[in-house]
Amino acid sequence: MGKYMTALTPLKATITRVRTESWNVRTYYVRLPEGVELPKPGQFNMLYVHGVGEVPISVSDLDVESRVVAHTVRFVGSVTKTFELLKEGDVIGFRGPYGIGWPMDVVTGKNIVLVAGGIGLPPLRPVIREVAKNRGMYGKLIILYGARTPEDLMFSYEYGDYESIPNTEFYVTVDRPSDGWRGNVGVVTNLIKHVDVNPSDSYAFVCGPEIMMRFAVQELLKKGFKTNKIFLSLERRMKCGVGLCGHCQMGPYFVCKHGPVFPLWFISRYFWVDQI
Amino acid sequence: MWVSLTGLYVGRVDSLRVLFDELRRSGYFVVGYRVVDGVLRLGELSSFDELAQGVEDVQGPGRYSLISGSFYRHGPDSPKKFLYPPYLTLFKVSSGWDVVVPVREVRRLAFFGLKPCDLASIKVLDRVLLGVDDYYESLRKNMVLIVENCTTPGNTCFCSTMNTGPRARDSFDLAYTRLGDKLVLEAGSVLGLKLLNVLEVEPIDDATYERFEATMRNASEKARAGFELNGLPEELELRIESKVYEKVTEKCLGCANCNMVCPTCFCFDVLDVPLIDGSAERVRVWDGCLNFTYGQVAGGHFRPDLWARYRHFVLHKFAYWVKQFGTFGCVGCGRCITWCPTGIDLRETVRSVLRGGKSG
Repeated sequence: MGKYMTALTPLKATITRVRTESWNVRTYYVRLPEGVELPKPGQFNMLYVHGVGEVPISVSDLDVESRVVAHTVRFVGSVTKTFELLKEGDVIGFRGPYGIGWPMDVVTGKNIVLVAGGIGLPPLRPVIREVAKNRGMYGKLIILYGARTPEDLMFSYEYGDYESIPNTEFYVTVDRPSDGWRGNVGVVTNLIKHVDVNPSDSYAFVCGPEIMMRFAVQELLKKGFKTNKIFLSLERRMKCGVGLCGHCQMGPYFVCKHGPVFPLWFISRYFWVDQI
Repeated sequence: MWVSLTGLYVGRVDSLRVLFDELRRSGYFVVGYRVVDGVLRLGELSSFDELAQGVEDVQGPGRYSLISGSFYRHGPDSPKKFLYPPYLTLFKVSSGWDVVVPVREVRRLAFFGLKPCDLASIKVLDRVLLGVDDYYESLRKNMVLIVENCTTPGNTCFCSTMNTGPRARDSFDLAYTRLGDKLVLEAGSVLGLKLLNVLEVEPIDDATYERFEATMRNASEKARAGFELNGLPEELELRIESKVYEKVTEKCLGCANCNMVCPTCFCFDVLDVPLIDGSAERVRVWDGCLNFTYGQVAGGHFRPDLWARYRHFVLHKFAYWVKQFGTFGCVGCGRCITWCPTGIDLRETVRSVLRGGKSG
């Protein structure tokens, strides 16, 4: 990425569609401005609401032909809350894609275990799409997904699609069931020990709240996964996306440019340290 | 990297005025220390008489005052204030979504009388910002550095430990040392050589040279921190869970003064400012890791405790910076010690962490 005066300048992008995912989450489909490269699974973009501010949002889907990229946004902060007002046809500022994504080249021919918590599923959805599209290139796909309540589950309308991908297992769980929930109850990390997978030819991709990722990593290590076969997508405060504003530092790493996806062995010296 | 082109010359202290006037005549905006409200502040000077003279800064942990004297070091401002301004409008987005990047006049700055620690801070910022920040780069490439070697380091100084002073070794245009009414001069660039030619100087004599060396040697002894750089990043990282940070921050206010006065702290926040005409400006402002919001996101907080934010400050300067940019982030200027309202001493923190065991 070039000089950041230029790098911090957003490009105009149009919202082509808005889809409601849950009571506080919507997906914004944005047509990529000309000249912008297609994001890879696990990368993120900086989305700017005019006069309000900018937020880093992972890519949750991509249509190569129409160059439309999906961003799944939860309304929690001062900027994301204003996303609720945005509708189809509105213009937002766009820059990206940023960061290093999931290592799809490394996992060719291997089994992939996805462990997602809450809003951690959207950054992993492009991985599911990629495996579904090029099914022969990868081994078994296991998707473990947990959310606080059934109302917080993302993309529940397409779970049938996940299950119908050949050689794929999909398990979903909630921390707190509501009336009518007949699925698993408990944290997603509890599912890891039940998974039938050989860790020596498998990779695990983990994305969710940091506390959930810590437990997930512990379970994966117990299961026999090596630290170079566990990949995590980290979250931090990010204002620039290009490794300069400093906010996203995790130890010596700038999460926005050295990550957000890291193999565990890169960061294992810092990952367990409280409030690093 | 520049080196001494000339060896040492000797002239008279009053030739500093000639040097100053020559820089002004050549079209430079001369930036130096002047006294404002009893504090040395870096500012643009229109005449040599505005430059602080006849004062000395007395610095200690949490203490700063000016008394009459013949030598001063610095105040809270560092070159960062000019090269990487605290508030910079990056661009404006009109209501119709036109992005307008402001066109800025490139100013030719001449820093006059910076101490070697601040020269070193520019070298550190070069590693971080050259090729990245075009505002910094445009100023940096058109800049003159007149450095004054530090004959009497202050109580919070530790440039000797950080290998940044008290004598400037490279990367300056002209370095001078005041010895009574004598001035020892050294050019570090072709421009510095030209400036030297404007002054009445002669090659240094043996007696002055010996006095110069002795002065620098004594100064060097005064500016030590009580720890060694060799192996420091790793030793600190091994003690990453040290309890010292918690203990030290019992008296930390989380004000981020240390970040603001640090000549190398480069973290910034981005403000989006809506204007009355429907447009919005994006502004870069200094931020610091001691600020509460620094590690905060809407869904949580990565460093809610003050000790964790202070630890980041310390480890960034002495460990992470080395990994990120191949140099220490600290130049030993001591500003963070002086301008800490409660006098937290970075040198003492590092020594304590090193003394403790892995979790000590």
